[in-house]
Amino acid sequence: MTITWSNFFIQLVAFAILFWLLSRYAFKPLFGVMEKRRQLVQEQMDSAQNNRNDAERLIEEQKQALQQARKEAHDIIEQAKTTGSRQADDIVQAARNESNRIKEDAVRDIEAEKNKAVASLKAQVSGLSVLIASKIIEKQVDEQSQKQLVDQYLQDVGNKS
Amino acid sequence: MEHLAPKIEVAGIEFDLAAIMMIVISSLIVFIIARLAVRNLSVENPGKVQNFMEWIVEFVQSIIGQTMDPKKGRPYLALGLTLILYIFVSNMLGLPFSIVTEAHGNHIPSVFGHQLIVTGEHEHLAWSWWKSPTADASMTMALALIVIVLSHVEGIRQNAKHYFKHYVNNPNIVFLPIHLIEVVSKPLTLGLRLFGNIFAGEVMIGVILGMGWIGIPAMLVWQGFSIFVGAIQSFVFTMLTMVYISQSIVHEEDH
Repeated sequence: MTITWSNFFIQLVAFAILFWLLSRYAFKPLFGVMEKRRQLVQEQMDSAQNNRNDAERLIEEQKQALQQARKEAHDIIEQAKTTGSRQADDIVQAARNESNRIKEDAVRDIEAEKNKAVASLKAQVSGLSVLIASKIIEKQVDEQSQKQLVDQYLQDVGNKS
Repeated sequence: MEHLAPKIEVAGIEFDLAAIMMIVISSLIVFIIARLAVRNLSVENPGKVQNFMEWIVEFVQSIIGQTMDPKKGRPYLALGLTLILYIFVSNMLGLPFSIVTEAHGNHIPSVFGHQLIVTGEHEHLAWSWWKSPTADASMTMALALIVIVLSHVEGIRQNAKHYFKHYVNNPNIVFLPIHLIEVVSKPLTLGLRLFGNIFAGEVMIGVILGMGWIGIPAMLVWQGFSIFVGAIQSFVFTMLTMVYISQSIVHEEDH
């Protein structure tokens, strides 16, 4: 093994030149591109993370909205049920009142008819009895005393019946 | 058969033409590969060569990450990349073939008007023109020296107080000689390990070539092993570079 000093120094200089050339023309752009790619990947990872966060937030919101809608629907059904049963009660009540009213009316009508029939019977009976009395007793009786007489008979009849 | 290095003497300085040529070729190959890799840079759709280069970058980044804080190690990434690429390419260059010129009779050929230097007595003159730059101790020691000097400079620049103190109080003044030996032994081991591995590989190839046809299976095996050794040595050199730098720029007071 011998050291050739010219080789030694030529190698020193050559390596220095090679190092400078490589750094200047090869490594600098290469490192730049690698750094850019690193940033790109970082950005994409960040945006993916953001998207996932957004998606999770939206899902949460949707869930809450669904829950809200369910609750509202339940409330509406409950309300409809109570309204329905109250209306049914009202209808039944109204029907009952109506029927009572109709019954009372009927009773009142019957009463009125009865009274009317009794009154007309009274009138006919007085006429008939006048006719019968005038024919039987053949005697002239004035209207006044006639009526008095009939009333007395009818009183008797009324008391007996 | 021993091959000589083709040296000429210009202005009183010996130049090893083969070594200079191989340094230039290795550097050119590394530079061309790197330029090809960054020719069509793309952030979203990198090509195959770019992917390969990025893989190497990440590999060196992981080496740095193992030895020191990655944030502090960022400035040394380009150095580590240059080292690993240059040493790997250098290690591979000597493997596939060799170029040998032989002298006719006793006539010694000339290059650029200067006669090649022949030292000692040789019965048969032959010069080897193609070999790994890293199979020469001069070149590996130059690389090792760059790294070691850099590690000391960075140690002084970033943490001078700790750098000078660790010689005398780690754990105490008695260990100063050991620290001084370490200062000398670090570049020696770093450079000579690389040189020894690659030089031995090339010597072995020469020996197997001498076996003739019988040596072909052995040649295949040894070539494969040499590729493995070359890759491992470039990795080890880069790894140790980062270890030495991290040792000298370390900030813990009790180191």
